[in-house]
Order: sequence, then C-alpha cells, then structure tokens
Amino acid sequence: MMKKKKSNTIMGMAFFGPALVLLTIFLFIPMILTLVFSFTDYFALSPNLTHFVGFENYGKLFKDELFLQSFFNTVKFVLIILPCQGLGALGLALLINKVTHCKKYFKVAFFVPVVMSLAVVSTLWMQIYSPEGILNTILGNLGINAQPFIHSASQALPSIALMSVWQGVGYQMIIFLGGLQAINPALYEAAEMDHASSWQKFKDITLPELKPLCVFVFITVTIGAFRMIVQPMVMTGGGPSHSTYTMVYNIYETGTVNWEIGIASTMAIVFAIFVMILTVIQSILTRDKEDKHVNKKAKNG
Amino acid sequence: MLTKKQKTANWILVIILLIASLFFLFPVIWMLANSFKGDAAITADMNTIKAFIPPALSGNFFDNYITILTDTKFLKYMVNTLFYAAILIVLGIIVNGLAGYALAKIKFPFRERWVLIILLLQIVPMETILTIHFLMIAKVGLLNTVIGYILPMIVNPFNIFLFRQVFISLPDDVYEAAQLDFCGPLKYFFTMVLPMSKTVVATVSVFTFLNVWNDYLWPSLVFTSSDLLTAQIGLNSITSNDNTTMGQTLAVITLITIPVIIIYSLFSKQIVEGVTSTGSKEG
Amino acid sequence: MSFIELKKINKKYENAERNSVTDFTLNIEEKEFIAFVGPSGCGKSTTLRMIAGFEEITGGDLYIDGKRVNETAPKDRGIAMVFQNYALYPHMTVEKNIGYGLKNMKVPAEEIKKKVDWAVDILGLEEYRYRKPKNLSGGQRQRVALGRAIVKNQKVFLMDEPLSNLDAKLRVSMRNEISKLHRQLGTTTIYVTHDQVEAMTMADRIVIMKDGVMQQVGKPMDLYEHPINKFVAGFIGSPQMNFYNVTVKGEEMTFEDGKKITLPDVVAERLSDHQGELIMGIRGEDIKVDEQNRELYKANVQQAIVENTEVMGNENNLYFTYGGSLTVARVSKYELSQMGDKLEFVFSPTKMHFFDKETEENILEK
Repeated sequence: MMKKKKSNTIMGMAFFGPALVLLTIFLFIPMILTLVFSFTDYFALSPNLTHFVGFENYGKLFKDELFLQSFFNTVKFVLIILPCQGLGALGLALLINKVTHCKKYFKVAFFVPVVMSLAVVSTLWMQIYSPEGILNTILGNLGINAQPFIHSASQALPSIALMSVWQGVGYQMIIFLGGLQAINPALYEAAEMDHASSWQKFKDITLPELKPLCVFVFITVTIGAFRMIVQPMVMTGGGPSHSTYTMVYNIYETGTVNWEIGIASTMAIVFAIFVMILTVIQSILTRDKEDKHVNKKAKNG
Repeated sequence: MLTKKQKTANWILVIILLIASLFFLFPVIWMLANSFKGDAAITADMNTIKAFIPPALSGNFFDNYITILTDTKFLKYMVNTLFYAAILIVLGIIVNGLAGYALAKIKFPFRERWVLIILLLQIVPMETILTIHFLMIAKVGLLNTVIGYILPMIVNPFNIFLFRQVFISLPDDVYEAAQLDFCGPLKYFFTMVLPMSKTVVATVSVFTFLNVWNDYLWPSLVFTSSDLLTAQIGLNSITSNDNTTMGQTLAVITLITIPVIIIYSLFSKQIVEGVTSTGSKEG
Repeated sequence: MSFIELKKINKKYENAERNSVTDFTLNIEEKEFIAFVGPSGCGKSTTLRMIAGFEEITGGDLYIDGKRVNETAPKDRGIAMVFQNYALYPHMTVEKNIGYGLKNMKVPAEEIKKKVDWAVDILGLEEYRYRKPKNLSGGQRQRVALGRAIVKNQKVFLMDEPLSNLDAKLRVSMRNEISKLHRQLGTTTIYVTHDQVEAMTMADRIVIMKDGVMQQVGKPMDLYEHPINKFVAGFIGSPQMNFYNVTVKGEEMTFEDGKKITLPDVVAERLSDHQGELIMGIRGEDIKVDEQNRELYKANVQQAIVENTEVMGNENNLYFTYGGSLTVARVSKYELSQMGDKLEFVFSPTKMHFFDKETEENILEK
C-alpha cells in the first residue's frame, strides 16, 4: 500500500516538478510580489529606501489624473470595440452561414487581418491613417475633407479602436460560425413544420442557441480591449496629449521606464481586479446558461 | 431546396458580401500592391485605382524586398525568432506536457487542488506581472540574453490544462501493457503519450509559434542588443529608421506575415478547431 | 511448492466498506490453464490484476516460482498479459507492437526479428505485419495482443476477458486458437472470463468466484457434476439448472404446488439427516421424456403443458411450469414437442442435487 503511494508521489512530483518550479518563479512569486509592492514606494533605482506605505498608493491612484485618464481611455476603447467587434462578428457569421457560394472565400477574407501581428497591423495603419495617406485620398475623392486621424487628440482613440475591430473581428466570426454549425438542423426543420418565419427562426432558435457563445465572445472581446497597449505604443506613443494612453501602457511605463515599481504594482492590482471580475462574470453567466441548457435538453429528451 | 425568391436574395447577399470583403481587405491589398513600388510611385498612384494594383513586372520589381533582406538585419531577426520559437515549442511541450500528464494520470498528493490552481491561473492577465518579470530578469543579469527571454515563457497554465484534458482520456491499459514491455514512465511519456496525442501536440506547437512570432511587449523589454531582436521588434527598429522608405516598410510587414500565413494554411484545421473549441468549451 | 501460490489474498480499496477479494487461496501448477469465472464485480479481474501487480495486495502473500512478489514491480514478475481492450500501441505497426517489449529488454535486433517472425507466423498475421492497429479487425487485434505476450518468453500469461469484445463466431474460433497456443507453448495461464462456456471449454481447472469469495475450484466436469453450492450449480451449465423449493419427508418429496414424487431408497437414505424444506436442483438433460425412462420410473411420471420451445436442431429446450418453477428440459430432436402439447416426463432420480435452504450448500457433496 505504502509503496505504491510513495512511488506515485515521487513520479507525480518528477513530472509536475519542472512546471511547478517555473510556475512558482514566474507566476506565484511575481503575483505575490506585485501585491506586496503595491503597498510600498519601491523605486527600483534606490531599493534601499523602500517603505511600507499601506493603502497610500491606492489613494494616490484615484487622484492621479494620468491614471484616471488612462482608465477612462481604456473604458472608451472597450465601449467602441465591444459593440463593433461583437455584433460585427455575429453579423458576419450569420450572413456567411447563410450564403451558398464563396463561403470559404468569405471566411478567409475576413480572417486575414487576424493572421497579422499587432505590430504589423499598427505599422500598416499608420501609413493608411497618415495625413496624405490612402484613406484620406479615398475620402478626398468622396468629397470629404482630410482627417487627422491618429494625429489628433479627438480622433486618435476611435481610429485605433476601429483598427482593432478590423483586426480582431474575423476571430470571433469563426467562433460564431462554429457555434452556428453546431446547432442541430432538426430544430430548423421542426420550426419549418410549425410555419415559423425566418425572423422567428432566428429569434427563437439561433439566438437562444448562440446565447452562451455570445456571453463568451463579448467578455473575451472586453478583456482583450482592456489589455490594449501595443497599438498605441507603436502608433501614437499614447498621445496626442495622452489621448490613447491605456491602463496597461501606464503600468508598463511606470514600471519599466520610470522604475516606480510600487505604484506600477498598485495599478497592476487594480487592473487585474477588473479583468478577474470580468472573467468571473463570464463564468457565472455561462455556467448558468449551460445548466439551463442541460436541464432543457434533459426535459426534452 | 431554395425558392426562386430565396435564390435571388442569396445572390444579392453574395454580391454585397463580396463588395464588403473588398472594402474590408483594402488595407491588405494596398499593402501588397505598394510593397513593390518606390515612394514616388506610391504617391503618384495614390489618387487612382493603380494604388491597389502592383506595378508591372520589371528588373526592380523586388527592390524593396531585396533592400530589406540585404541591407538590414531583418533576415537575422526572422531566424532569431524561428530559433526562439523552436526552443519554446520543445521546452513547452516537455514541461507543460509532463505536468498535464501528471495532473491527468498520476495520483499524487493534492492533485485535484493543483488542477484547480492551474485553472484559476488562466484568468490572471500576464500584463499584471510583466513589470516583475522584467525586474527579476534584470536583477539576475539576464537582460539581453536568450535565456532571460525564454525562461518566463516556458510554463503556460493554459497549455498544461489543455494537455491534461487530452491525456485524461488515454486508456490506462496501454500504460499497463507498456509497463510489462519494460517501458518506464518517462519513456512511456515520450514514446507513447506524445505520439498518441499528435493533435494536441500540433495545436500547442502552432499556438506557441504564433505567440512567439507575434509577441511584442516582452521581447521589447528584454532585448536591446540588435543581434538578438525578434522580428516584431526588428520591424519597429527598421521602420523607425528615417532611411526606410514607405515601400520598404510595406515590404517588411509583408515579409513578417508570410511565415504566419504558411502556418495558418498548413494547420488551418487545427487552428479553427482550437479557436472554435475554446468558444464551445467556455461557452 | 506450487508454481504460483496465492495465500489468503485480500483486496480492500481505500474508503471501501467491504473487501473486493477475501482470503483467496489457490495453488497453480506449472503449465496449468486456470480460468477465473464469475459474474461481473465478483473480484476475478481484481485478483488477476493483483497477480499482475497493477493492484496492491492489501493482505496475504503471493508467490510466483518460489519468490514472494507482493512488492515486486509488474515487469519483474515474469508475466505477460492480454488485455480486454487489447491495449495495443496505436501508433506502432503490428511488427513493432509485438517486438516492443523485446526491444526494451535490449534483445539483439536479429533475435527480435526471429521471434516476431515466429509469432506472426503462428498467429497468421503475416499479411498485416506493417499495418497499424486501427486498420485491423477485432480478431486480428487480439492476435497481435497475444503475439506481444508470447514473444517475451514469460513464465505466466494473464488474460483479462480477452474475447469479450469479439462477436460470437470469432469468439469460438479464438477460443480454439488460444487453447492450441497453450498446448504448443505450455505456458502457465490464468484466464479471466465472465462466460462459463469459455471457462468450461478451455481451462484445466476453473475457479468460480462470487462477491470476492472463491466458491469452488475444480476440473470443468467436476464443477458440472458436483457443484458445491447452489450458486455454482446455477452458474455452470447452459441452460441453467432448474431449482425447486421442496419438502422432503422420508421417501416423499413435495413441491411447492403440492405435487409429490417418491425418492428412491439411495437418495432418501442420504437425505435422512436433512428432512424438511430443501432446494432441489436438476439439469435440463436429466429431465427425461423418452419412453424407456418413463417406463423405468413410471411411478413418478409427471405431466405439464409445453409453454415455449427453443429449437437448435441437435439440442432442443422445452419450457414448462412445474412445481411452482419455470422448468427447462433438454431433449433430442426425436423427442421434440410443440408449444401447448402435453408432456410426460420423469426426473432422473440419481441426478438430483439438494441444497440447504439457508446456506445453499450442496448437501450431498459434503
């Protein structure tokens, strides 16, 4: 009895050990350190002068105008990206699912930007958004005045947000297409027998069946938008006048450029709390839906 | 069976989508077409439909690409990145795969608790601890080294969990048969478990590659020496150079996307399955 | 000392209320073919897996070839095993599957080839040699699993329900092949099955188990003729033995529904200590319908209406209710009758088994 247990323990730890060591060094310890540092004024260039400051950093953050701006910028990104990308992906998936020709081409065409990296997309759109760039030329031909896009404090954020939608929408489209294909066609056939109109079929079959997937997609899009940094970093450096400065960008600069680890950790904790709340909401919503779904199926079966 | 009315509607929809897809793709088309042009031609074509058409084939058709590949270190950056990706794929499969196997099949103490912890770790956004990673790597003097870049990226809770889910359904009797065939646990993992789970190994490899290839933040922090840069960071240093023309910039970003396109076309099935399965699993 | 000795082997799983196997004691001689048989959950597979070393022995001692092996790793016990679901290595060809163990034992390549050639030859796998398991039928896979076991020259073969995934016809032919292989190689074999026909047709000796407890060990015919209790009597043989609740008083045996039979002196004498309520059991072929027997025991001729028939040609089953129980009689094709016919029959008196009503033990076999 003992022997086998012991050998299992040894084998288990031998197999799990390497991962455990790396998890400890690069996840557990950094997580703990982040939390600890968030209560200090740790400045990496003079680590010996570090003091424990309690919740002072947290208090400071909510008075720090730059942090508040980066927070509201992030929220703005989410508010633009979420409806455009979520509904856009759903709409595209519904249309592509419906057409009988060129289905494969459409899938690939709308997926192409997903393949490109954030840095590539940002570099490309810098050219496209440039004052004498192709977009302004096209607009000019349509009789619209040249726009400053990423060079103006009012347009930079929506410009980057729309570019992100352009890049990401294909990914969620594929997820929705997978969900649509997973719907049992017998449901539609049954509805047909019951003289349901196309709209009724969409409202009573497609949408309910896709609901759990919608929750998943909308939350992942939100989290994705929340984590925005590379695009402003490459395109605008957070400007003009911090109009595209995001939370993660703020953490990144405060920590790795200014070496103010203490306050950067505080921001990271606040950021992590937001993301984790979203994740928890998602898991609660989807679990709930799944249970209902299962119950419904059990009843029907 | 479609009625005549439905058929017409279908065709209208196809045409609308075709037009929409062209508008959607115009940045990509413009990028490809102009990556073969000099800056003068790009500006001159801007106002006409020629902006979306590559120039006629001539002796200097590939000039931008040749300049990038010969006059800059871009080729080296690409090779660097491939090398990092290869190392991370191998180490990632070993470390995360072994851990996934332990969590799936070996009854060691607190196993279920570890599974839960691995599951919870997936919701921690990596940006949160990026600063600390940077600080740690800097403290041990590994900034600007390959080891410093690779070490924090090996372990991946998501991949551990993915491996576990697949390994858990492997039959136990095959392991017992292998034991009687004098095959030890480690050998069993490498010669039996991995070959029996080719799909998940391929999926993890593909996603690791894409992750390494497209990553921007971490390599931008670790690497400053121009000899070690990854392609994405190299791209930044090339395009921010004033001598680089717009055509050359477009050529670089085309070049950098080619390997990804190859990977996607080779493994499109696994990728789409991976993408849709994350959706259905979570949803 | 016997080749394999199991001494009071016990298995109790953690958090389980009862033992899965209790005090299992058995000596197995070299070259013997032993079958463990019993209904599912009787502990036969668990016992086999304890012999293999895949399950911990929680009590008792196990000796193989004179050595105590309780704590020995499976690979060092000198055993080869054939699994219910074949457990072939899916990414390896037939040839690689069979030779894998030898390769790991560091056997030289040419010797491996010789061994594999031999195994492939006697198992008729020549043309499938380079196929992978997924391209083989169930029977072929089972042959590969056998091949993997026989090339290693181990002292003991353990087989865990190896034929349960095959269809009925294939099962019969594989049964013969395994028996033939055993005769050829003479390797000590322990064979687990839930199918009493397999056990009866293949084994030198059969171990019958129920609820983790060994019921009886013996040669197939001994178990058939002299079952030690009602469970063994009912488990061995098809169709199942007929059982009746009876009351014995002297020479008179009364059935539940009041029917009476006079027992011959020999039987009555042996039951003299067991008067009162008993269970009487008799096999279908010992219910006689032919004229000769009816003449012989004419004082005890009984009557019933045939309710159902199973016609197989050589052997035919007649079903009818008698003495409060559904009864089956096995008759030759000359004695076949139709549903609804009136049947006259006698119980062959010396073939009756009597079981204690409480303990269900066979009174006459004590």
